[in-house]
Amino acid sequence: MDQYANPTAQAVDNVLIYIFGFSLLLLLGITVVTIIFVVKYRRSKYPEPTSDNDGNIWLETIWTVLPVMIVMTMFWYGWTNYVGLREVPAGALEIKATARMWSWQFEYPDGRKTSKLYVPVNTPIKVSLHSVDVLHNFFVPAFRIKRDTVPGMENYVWFQAPEEGSYDIFCAEYCGVGHADMITTVEAMSQEAYADWSKPLEPSGDPRGLIVLNEQGCTGCHSLDGSDNIGPSLFELAGQTRKLIRDGQPVEVAIDENYLKIAIREPELEVVAGYDPIMPPYDEGTISAEDLQAVVDYLLGKVVAATTAPDADQLLEENGCLGCHSSDGSEGIAPTFKGIGQRDVTIERDGKELTIKVDAEYLRRALLEPEADMVKGYAPMMPAADYLSPEQIDVIIEHLLKQ
Amino acid sequence: MTETTLNYSGFYTEGPRKGILGWLLTTDHKRIGILYLGCIVVMFLIAMVLGLAIRLELIAPGKTIMGPQAYNATFTVHGIIMIFLFIIPSIVAAFGNFLLPIHIGARDVSFPKLNLLSWYCYVAGGLLAIASIFTGGGAPDTGWTFYVPFSTQTTTNVNLAVLGAFILGFSSILTGINFVTTIHRLRAKGMTWGRLPMFVWTLYATAWIQILATPMLGITLVLVFLERIFGAGLFDAARGGDPILYQHLFWIYSHPAVYIMILPGMGVVSEIIPTFARKPLFGYWAMAISSLAIAFAGSLVWAHHMYASGMSDLAVLVFSFLTFIVAIPSAIKVFNWISTLYKGSIELAPPMLFALAFIFQFAIGGLGGLALGAAASDVHLHDTSFVVGHFHYTMFGGAGFAFFAALHFWLPKFTGRMYRHKPAVIAWGLMFVGFNVLYMSMQAVGIQGMPRRYYDYLPEFQALNLVATVGSWILAAGILLMFYNLWQGIRRGRPVGNNPWGGATLEWQIPSPPPLENFGAEDPVVTKGPYDYKGVVADEY
Repeated sequence: MDQYANPTAQAVDNVLIYIFGFSLLLLLGITVVTIIFVVKYRRSKYPEPTSDNDGNIWLETIWTVLPVMIVMTMFWYGWTNYVGLREVPAGALEIKATARMWSWQFEYPDGRKTSKLYVPVNTPIKVSLHSVDVLHNFFVPAFRIKRDTVPGMENYVWFQAPEEGSYDIFCAEYCGVGHADMITTVEAMSQEAYADWSKPLEPSGDPRGLIVLNEQGCTGCHSLDGSDNIGPSLFELAGQTRKLIRDGQPVEVAIDENYLKIAIREPELEVVAGYDPIMPPYDEGTISAEDLQAVVDYLLGKVVAATTAPDADQLLEENGCLGCHSSDGSEGIAPTFKGIGQRDVTIERDGKELTIKVDAEYLRRALLEPEADMVKGYAPMMPAADYLSPEQIDVIIEHLLKQ
Repeated sequence: MTETTLNYSGFYTEGPRKGILGWLLTTDHKRIGILYLGCIVVMFLIAMVLGLAIRLELIAPGKTIMGPQAYNATFTVHGIIMIFLFIIPSIVAAFGNFLLPIHIGARDVSFPKLNLLSWYCYVAGGLLAIASIFTGGGAPDTGWTFYVPFSTQTTTNVNLAVLGAFILGFSSILTGINFVTTIHRLRAKGMTWGRLPMFVWTLYATAWIQILATPMLGITLVLVFLERIFGAGLFDAARGGDPILYQHLFWIYSHPAVYIMILPGMGVVSEIIPTFARKPLFGYWAMAISSLAIAFAGSLVWAHHMYASGMSDLAVLVFSFLTFIVAIPSAIKVFNWISTLYKGSIELAPPMLFALAFIFQFAIGGLGGLALGAAASDVHLHDTSFVVGHFHYTMFGGAGFAFFAALHFWLPKFTGRMYRHKPAVIAWGLMFVGFNVLYMSMQAVGIQGMPRRYYDYLPEFQALNLVATVGSWILAAGILLMFYNLWQGIRRGRPVGNNPWGGATLEWQIPSPPPLENFGAEDPVVTKGPYDYKGVVADEY
């Protein structure tokens, strides 16, 4: 690895090693001398002190001046390396990070938003830091960078990922009940993979089925152009047949909707001859029934025209809603989204409790004025979602009512 | 319990009133010191249990014994009690009140009634802080730092906790005023500034911080109050306020406050080391001046808590520089303590063991502070477990162990009875080992990158967290043994004479426990320094 591949970590480690090294030496010296004195001048050996020396101007001057000089080198070395953390190299890729209770959102120059931070390796990245509610802190131990996100103020950090992989991002400034869960990752990819990843989406958008294939990483093993890979290619499947091993016997089947769904949900049941049975199953929780249908339709060439409407699931993910509201019914910091369209809620309005049916009007109020009607038993800590466009809010409400 | 228990003499039996009122309405500095001491030990034990609960939660990733909200409340209340109700008043209010007048040859402090009022402020503030746990919207969950905007938004009972801390501040200010006045005005004949025990010098430096810095805390807490109740908008960027302003205001008090916590501990150690080496304190004036220098320079370094906050890089430069300056007087103190041992006649009695543990642990805390003071390395360490470990090294390994050293050194003077030494040494050993296992692991896991105030953590941090939790059990076992042994000593320990340790300061020349007004009919006249051990003989016990 290039010595400067992880420049911010290098800068911090220089100082850490220098100061810790010196400190260890000093501590060792102090401790050893103390132990020697305590043992050597013990009262059983010396019932009375052998000196009444109570000071020495030269000694005291030396151990005043010498520490001053040492700590000044520490100060200066700490400062000059700190400057390296603040001076962003020219041509850095700029990504905007927004922290909220209790999730991260990263926005790329092309407007794309993600909840993990995707970056190319060996490229300086400048992350501008924002918060929509309270203080948070963007901390990546692997790059030794840390900076508060402050509401109403823009901070920044920069880093350069030395190699491909995942690096933890922690929230390091205490921000309430979800603080310890406010964790995500930097996903560093090769420059080629990143160029691929960041190709602008067509305004009309890819068909949903293709998006799912990409998001789920299917295309990592299955090519879309007929070339061979770890798994069979998905090129023009309609009307083809596959040789399978079923119960140890080779059979040939036609590729149809039913076959594809089984191949995705329970891939180990029927493995295409010549391939290893290594594909993981994708259950309902990973690919929803809707998405499964979209994938199958896409693979069989029955592409439905992509809609321009924003995708509700994506909105909930991007905007950090899922940080507090679960989608699977599990208890969290806030009420779950599962079944929200079908239930009654007990809310507190103007100090009185009342039970109402969840409808579009209620959901709109809950999004835009969350403090007006608080669901009983939950603390009023949700930020108003007034950063969403009216269309986005409509899509979310429609989506939630269908739950 | 035998007949012989509790037949204390001295100030315990003398005084204008008998019974419980004799204590609640007392203006005797020794009784007020004892009142403080009792409250402080109780507070310490409560907060220690909370600390153990925090460590137990962190023994493994995920939820172990409590969920995030309970955890957040637990570390908040642990911090508030330990800082505002234990460590700030511990040595100053308990030992300072009892010993300061005796050390300078006075019969009481300058304003005895004000002294009692400060104890009532302490009790009122403490009760409010504890009430905040059980009332309103639940125990406060802001951390002891009350950072905005979170603290102005949370629905937990921050108002009461803030009010409690506000009133506790007055207790501290009143004590500071009393001590400065007493030291200036009530020194006995012959008690020159150059003959003041070092403990008095450190109390003097501390008192000035209490007077000058604590009002800042009061103002800051009032502003939080205004923000919460009336939505004043002072810290709200959307309305022209600034959340970082709060951090400046908070640390302008709370950084000097760590010197309120540590300076008296340094004073205690400066009394114990010469006594058990039977040698004068090395570099008396360097020690006295470095105490004042710490108080002064320590008031100028508050923003080193804020390198990552988003304040300007110029401010980082300035505050990093000033922070390294404040390291110097602390280093001088350590060197002088060790030089005092040179060619001495050293006895490893329990107070001395605690004092030596203080030096070792305070040195680790101080040296760790260098890595936090340097701008670049702080970026990585800030807000991780390293900071928590560092803070405990200075405040618990330092000030806390100094408090325990003071208990072992002066309780025989306070009660006229000696605890057993062997259990005291075993307790010290357990505490020393447990302490270092616990907080060294916390520092290490912080260097690995574990953020603080996490109830749950990633698997890579498990091993060190487990070690730390085991350390907390060893430490707690030692502390319980120590308190049990001291309690036994107070109740039925062997009686001691005036001077069990062979000390040369004035308290060792009067009976144990001291009589009302300390010095009998005639005021003392001081003719020699505090560490002149020639001809001083320790009483057998």
